[in-house]
Amino acid sequence: MVRVAAVLLLLLPALLGTALADCKIHRGDRVVLYSTTDDPSVLLWDSRARLREYYAASFDEAHAMLPHATLVAPGTHATVTSCTSNYVDSPIFERPADAIAVVTTSGPQRGLLRWVLGSDVRRLPNP
Amino acid sequence: MKEAPLANVTGTLLMTAFLAVTLLFVMQGTFETRAELANTFVHQAQVQKAQLDLEELLRLQIDEENSLRGYSLTRDPFYVAQYRQAAAGYDAKESEISVILEGQHLTAPAEMLGTYERLQTAWRDQVASPWLRRPGELLELDKTNKLFSDYESRTGYAIRQALAGTDAALVRSTQIQLDRASYARAFWVVAFGFLAILLNIYRSRLNRELEEERTITDILQQAFRSESVPLPHCEVGSAYLSATTHLAVGGDIFDVYRLSDNRALVLIADISGKGVDAAVLTAFIRFMIRAIAVRHSEPAAILAEFNVAFSKAVGNPYLFVSMFVGVLDTATRRLEYASAGHDCAYLRRRDGVHQLSVTGPVLGVMEEPYYSKTIDLDPGDTLVLTTDGLTEVRNRAGKPLLGRGAIELIARAGPHAQQLVDELVAKVRARGGKRIRDDLAILAIRMLDGESRG
Repeated sequence: MVRVAAVLLLLLPALLGTALADCKIHRGDRVVLYSTTDDPSVLLWDSRARLREYYAASFDEAHAMLPHATLVAPGTHATVTSCTSNYVDSPIFERPADAIAVVTTSGPQRGLLRWVLGSDVRRLPNP
Repeated sequence: MKEAPLANVTGTLLMTAFLAVTLLFVMQGTFETRAELANTFVHQAQVQKAQLDLEELLRLQIDEENSLRGYSLTRDPFYVAQYRQAAAGYDAKESEISVILEGQHLTAPAEMLGTYERLQTAWRDQVASPWLRRPGELLELDKTNKLFSDYESRTGYAIRQALAGTDAALVRSTQIQLDRASYARAFWVVAFGFLAILLNIYRSRLNRELEEERTITDILQQAFRSESVPLPHCEVGSAYLSATTHLAVGGDIFDVYRLSDNRALVLIADISGKGVDAAVLTAFIRFMIRAIAVRHSEPAAILAEFNVAFSKAVGNPYLFVSMFVGVLDTATRRLEYASAGHDCAYLRRRDGVHQLSVTGPVLGVMEEPYYSKTIDLDPGDTLVLTTDGLTEVRNRAGKPLLGRGAIELIARAGPHAQQLVDELVAKVRARGGKRIRDDLAILAIRMLDGESRG
């Protein structure tokens, strides 16, 4: 039992490291939110699953999901709390995008913990 | 041996036909490729136009939205006018693209364009119109606008991808067509060249064989050709026209052979048939007559002996010979002759032209006695011996010259022996055209007076 626990303890960092390895944004990074689509505003989602579903859903399905989203203005600052690499896929993506959890640190929606698409996030240089 | 030329000609024709067919294939392939490429290029040009128009459409769509944002921020009616202008441009451009996509049967991009158009219409109803009515109340519409923006981007991206895929497929198709055409052309060019080389080798061999045959023929003609020799106290003229193209021999024969200083054998004969086979027989006849004439001085005896020998040697009941044999003493100017059915013998004298009578039947038919006749010639008298190539020559109306016409021609001809012969030949050519239908031999012997004797 002790041996098994020891093995798991040894493997855990490795597993976590693998999960986080592909993310370019890491916990604690300061970021700015900005969309590269025609509308630069950014949608923040209350769950990682809804973020993924939004990009796979039809227009009507996506429209029905909007109450779970918060729209923030482009340029809103945030801090990264976690990252799931290659989590969101869509026919228009060249490759799957990361799902990033952020806490907004500026604007009217300051202090909000939400999920955002990796391509809508730009890392700010450290102060 | 006789089939070889036909096989050669057939082979040459076949190879030439192969070359012609090969050439046709190359030409047809070239035209087909050109047509296919032209269609592909037209198709590709339309797809590329649709791609460019799509970019313009997306730009107009962004113009619409930006105009609304401008109006929302400034309340300046200028932006409303900009919005309406962009919206009108968007609708027109969308129609153009739709026509192109349907015209080129690009179903999937056309359907996606329809989706894009529906999204844009819905955006105008659900976002743009409320914005225009209440430009201050924007926040509650922003999420919907974002949704539209995302989905229009997504649809626009899908249309772009579809058109780019079609364009790439057309480029690949063009490359494949060009490759295929190049390979096909290379194949046919190699095939054409190979066949041309084969044909050239074949023709070279054929030419060499023909050259060898021609050489052999020349040698044989040399042996079979009728000839005359000069005689004392006489002028001798002669001509030979063969009905067989490119051959100087045929089924007619004449011969002047000196038996002694003053005596000469004079011979003219016409063998039924013509061509090389008949020519071979003429050689046999000439040398046999010469051999007989050495032993028999009387023409009738020569014909009689020849008749027996000929019938036995040839053994062909359908082969016969008309022949005039004369023994001319040039010192006494006495001609003794016998004619085996050969009625084309004439004597031109001061009082006119006389046809020398036949003294027996043609040779090779029956064993009948032959008789000789003797004529004393005067200076200036000309013995003219011809074959039926003269009397049977026909004019354009198909009328033969006959003996009477021959007599008239001989009477009007020039005085000298060769001159007479040449004029007769010219008349035959003028009357019968370029192509001689029957062999023609002419022999003329003119007696000279004492002063002119050579």
